[in-house]
Amino acid sequence: MLRFVARIGSAIAIFVLLATTVVRAETVSYAFERSTITFTHIARTASGLAVGIDDPAFRSLLKSLGATLTARPGDHTVLITTSAPDVISFGVGDAQYSVGSLTAQARFAPYANGSEVFLPFDDVLHALGVSPQDGVLERLLTSVDVQGYGVQAVLVARGAGVLRPRVVSDGPDRVVYAFDGVGTTLAPQRAISAGGIRNVLITSSGTARDPQTLLTIELAPNTRHDPPQSGSGEFEVAFGTNGSAPPLVEPLRETVAVAPADMGTSSPSPEPSASPGGTATVNGVSVQPTNDGGQSVLIAVTGNAAYEWHRLRAPDNRFWIDIEGAQLAGGPLDQAEPNPLIALRVRQIDPQTVRVALSLAGDTALDVSPSATGVSVTLGTAAVADNAPHSGTGTVGTVVSASEPQTTVTPVPADEYGAPNDENSWKFGPQTYVPTNPKLIVIDPGHGGSDRGSMHGDLQEAVLTLDMAQRVQTILLARGWQVKMTRTVDHDVDATPASTQEAIRLGHDNADAYALQARDDIANEAGARLFVSIHCNAYLNSGPNGVTVYDSKPIDAALALAMDRTIALAGLGVKDDGVVKSHLYVTMHANMPAILIETAFLTNPADYAKLSSSDWRQRMAEAIADGIDRYAQANPVPNSGE
Amino acid sequence: MTVYYTQLDGTTLGTWDVSVRAPAPGESSAGVLHDLVTYAAVQAVAGPPAQTSAVRFPPGTRVRDVTVNGATAVVDLSKEVTSGSGGSFEENGEFKGLVYTLTGIPSINTVQITIEGRTVETLPGGHLELDAPLRRSDW
Repeated sequence: MLRFVARIGSAIAIFVLLATTVVRAETVSYAFERSTITFTHIARTASGLAVGIDDPAFRSLLKSLGATLTARPGDHTVLITTSAPDVISFGVGDAQYSVGSLTAQARFAPYANGSEVFLPFDDVLHALGVSPQDGVLERLLTSVDVQGYGVQAVLVARGAGVLRPRVVSDGPDRVVYAFDGVGTTLAPQRAISAGGIRNVLITSSGTARDPQTLLTIELAPNTRHDPPQSGSGEFEVAFGTNGSAPPLVEPLRETVAVAPADMGTSSPSPEPSASPGGTATVNGVSVQPTNDGGQSVLIAVTGNAAYEWHRLRAPDNRFWIDIEGAQLAGGPLDQAEPNPLIALRVRQIDPQTVRVALSLAGDTALDVSPSATGVSVTLGTAAVADNAPHSGTGTVGTVVSASEPQTTVTPVPADEYGAPNDENSWKFGPQTYVPTNPKLIVIDPGHGGSDRGSMHGDLQEAVLTLDMAQRVQTILLARGWQVKMTRTVDHDVDATPASTQEAIRLGHDNADAYALQARDDIANEAGARLFVSIHCNAYLNSGPNGVTVYDSKPIDAALALAMDRTIALAGLGVKDDGVVKSHLYVTMHANMPAILIETAFLTNPADYAKLSSSDWRQRMAEAIADGIDRYAQANPVPNSGE
Repeated sequence: MTVYYTQLDGTTLGTWDVSVRAPAPGESSAGVLHDLVTYAAVQAVAGPPAQTSAVRFPPGTRVRDVTVNGATAVVDLSKEVTSGSGGSFEENGEFKGLVYTLTGIPSINTVQITIEGRTVETLPGGHLELDAPLRRSDW
């Protein structure tokens, strides 16, 4: 009834709500974490207590649970991000609320009283994984999942706030963890049989004021486990048989058994729809010469899919085709191709779309047609006709005749590809650059001085990048190049007039706030041929590894590709993560072809070992120098005598 | 509404869907859009459910404020965003998911990031350019 009224008219509804259901403002107190917490923005409605979001005790409860609240006065939505993290969303006047991807029905709809939104007290606590009863706010263990990866398994426990259990016992047949101050309503037992875990037992003990939950994991013989890890919102332990190290680094994707029993609304959401977008699969892309000196790009597609293609004339000379509703089988592809092509890129650009992009050597005629096996793009040697379409659409699959030509011409959608006059866009950026000093390469050792970059173990990025950069410098000088370093010591790069101006424009009192522009200024003012920035990657956990070449502008692409190929084939033992386009500052603001090489991950143990080795850094430096040579040989500067 | 995240290969996007409430009676269209953009930003910063592997913002990162300025969503993030690992991988992936999510909202084309109310060149010791609006075509 309340919900119905509230949806008719907000002013009337709130008036009715306040006039009829709120008895009086009051306070309520609970024991929580061995102290007393008193809520003062409390209203008693016919359907239960409401708490105002500006209540200091409510804010302090959120903080102690590692949750944050986003709401501005006047907003109709109140958002709480839990430590899990899940987002709890309440809407004023709507009794439905959501936790992650689950929705639930509150006892009554949140309402506004002045500028403060009042939430149904029991529901918001439940969503936070806290149970109010008998004068005690009890934190709950809300879920225990086991994800199996063959002979290995990862147990993940989640609850209100950060869980830091004690190890009660750790024997060959069982491990017992105690969660002090945490209660639970989870089912007491479940059989698992994955990764050496036989059973998981969950038992409550302790008192109402001082609850405790015991988690007992019964193990098969010869099962080992990692030390537990407590993340921001979860507690996890990896188990494995076979005597091998458990798989906390890069677990496999398959989930053999996720075993939630009674998890309530604050349980983790089901696996999101990460991939199943379309019904079609792009199985591969091949390039074959045609009889008349052109090239034919054959995109093998099975299933039904629509496609849309676009081409950009000179000076961009780019073509791309998006296969909609399609999944890419195998990994992304980046490869150089013979005339009239330059390069081919294949990517899953979003969960529903596979993009095949071509760099073209010139403004040549091309034809896009569906074929029996997919789509073919045929590039001729003749120049494109003035009135030839710039884009088109079509379909592949059983519903379409294999010979049906595509005819529809659509304009380039500005949202999807950026405004046509946008210089920052991949497709529309400057295509040419003529160095005033074709023999000069600028090498940029990342970070330095006050900026240490990423640090891990005994290694500091600022030190490693300078070391590798100096090795590259030595090699390039020996090969007849000129080299300018953005820094030669472990100092900050000095501010330049341009970088200072940018810092002032953005209101910074410190000119060093624009340290990256200063690096670009060194290369831009010297008219260097190439700008190569050397870095080491890092992440919040140890999983990601490998070498990545980042580029930003169209003129960076050939250098990035040549560098990535060279490093990948140099036998450095580091995974090739390919070329990644991004809006990185140093590559974006260097006038010349520029790349940023993240040589390896400091946070991955195997990569860390490589970065620790001076022999490996020397070989990486040689590969970088080889990549520069490879690019330069394939892309001579006009009229430079090369 | 579709929320995007970047998978642990550092480039491939994944998505999950969240439901969006119906506008309240009498709520202005600007108010609805502001709430929607805020909801999208908070979801994208929180990331997908914990059991999904994703490039994530540093723990504790929260959306301090969101304003909609024409086709640009201005998202003010808390200082915790600067407490990450310092790798291009992380910045590239976390902001790619956020920008794709927000630009999936009709009428939003670009995203300007501020940190504790300030425009910055990059994150401290960072790589991704943050002093100009980001858009999907940056990736």
